[in-house]
Amino acid sequence: MLNETLLSLARWLDSQSWSTQIHESIYLYSWIETTHVLSLMIFLGMLCVIDLRMLGWAFDKVPASTIANRLDKPMMIGFAIMLISGFLLYYAIPVRTTQSIWFRTKVILLILAGINAFLFRAKMQASASSWDLDPIPPKRIRVGAGLSLLLWSGVVITGRAIAYDWFDCRRELPYMMYWAAGCVDEMAAFQ
Amino acid sequence: MDLYPLFEWLDTSLLADISKAYGGTFAVIQMFHLMGMALMGGMVLVGDLRLLNILLKDLPSEMVIENTHKWFGVGLTIMIMSGIFMSSAVAMKLYYNSMFAAKMAALATGIVFVYAIRKPLLAGDHTELNPWTLRIVAVTSIMIWFTVAASGRWIGFS
Repeated sequence: MLNETLLSLARWLDSQSWSTQIHESIYLYSWIETTHVLSLMIFLGMLCVIDLRMLGWAFDKVPASTIANRLDKPMMIGFAIMLISGFLLYYAIPVRTTQSIWFRTKVILLILAGINAFLFRAKMQASASSWDLDPIPPKRIRVGAGLSLLLWSGVVITGRAIAYDWFDCRRELPYMMYWAAGCVDEMAAFQ
Repeated sequence: MDLYPLFEWLDTSLLADISKAYGGTFAVIQMFHLMGMALMGGMVLVGDLRLLNILLKDLPSEMVIENTHKWFGVGLTIMIMSGIFMSSAVAMKLYYNSMFAAKMAALATGIVFVYAIRKPLLAGDHTELNPWTLRIVAVTSIMIWFTVAASGRWIGFS
């Protein structure tokens, strides 16, 4: 039921002229994708600096909260650019993307990374005063930072993999893969 | 100097055998390339935005540059190693690709700029340098690495 609804929504987006125009434009789609990829340097780059501090691997003489607070804003600017450009990329090719196992995994990882970031921030704010100046933060903080790097790496990896057609619905796949990709109409991407 | 023999050698190397035989390997290595880019780009931005007095203004710029430089090297190494592997899969195609040539020129400029100019210049006390020197170094650095990343992405479109 959910897969049918998602596919209907994707078909509705696909029927809009702007979606077609982005998809068929010679340069616009490429520029949006380039923006999406390059904003990785802003968002993930800032995140790397924060997480490396939380792991005790960089800026160990600087209070952890200083690094987290100062880099939060540019990181969120990068995230906003990624979110907008990412939506436009989805909007340009909605039907195939909706039935992509990589896209679905990416969305799940995004949600998990968001939850981890929320919990991490809460944990940090509650306890930072006791370890803020420690070169190596407590284990629970390091685990959170490591998890953050792993989850966001997963988001990047699955995001890049969307372009590959290894597990597209039109291919012969194990039933499990059809289920995971939410394949409703195997030929929908060609219609 | 014609680099054709170099590309031809890469095209018939063991790396090329692996990258051509296992399509999935190329994709996985490409993902590491992206992660290296994010790490390297982040370090460039944090360091250069500090030099421009935009980020981490309350921290000494010497400390920010020192901390970011080490991880910049890690990101650059990941990018170069993964980049060589990726190039081996399509070496002859890349030889004729003008965007690849542009990226390599920008990358060479970037490496020379970082290790021959930026690092030695910023090794001492930054207050002894003209503020405009710091700003010019930062803007040049951002422009060079943006060009490397953008031309790299554009290889796939050209």
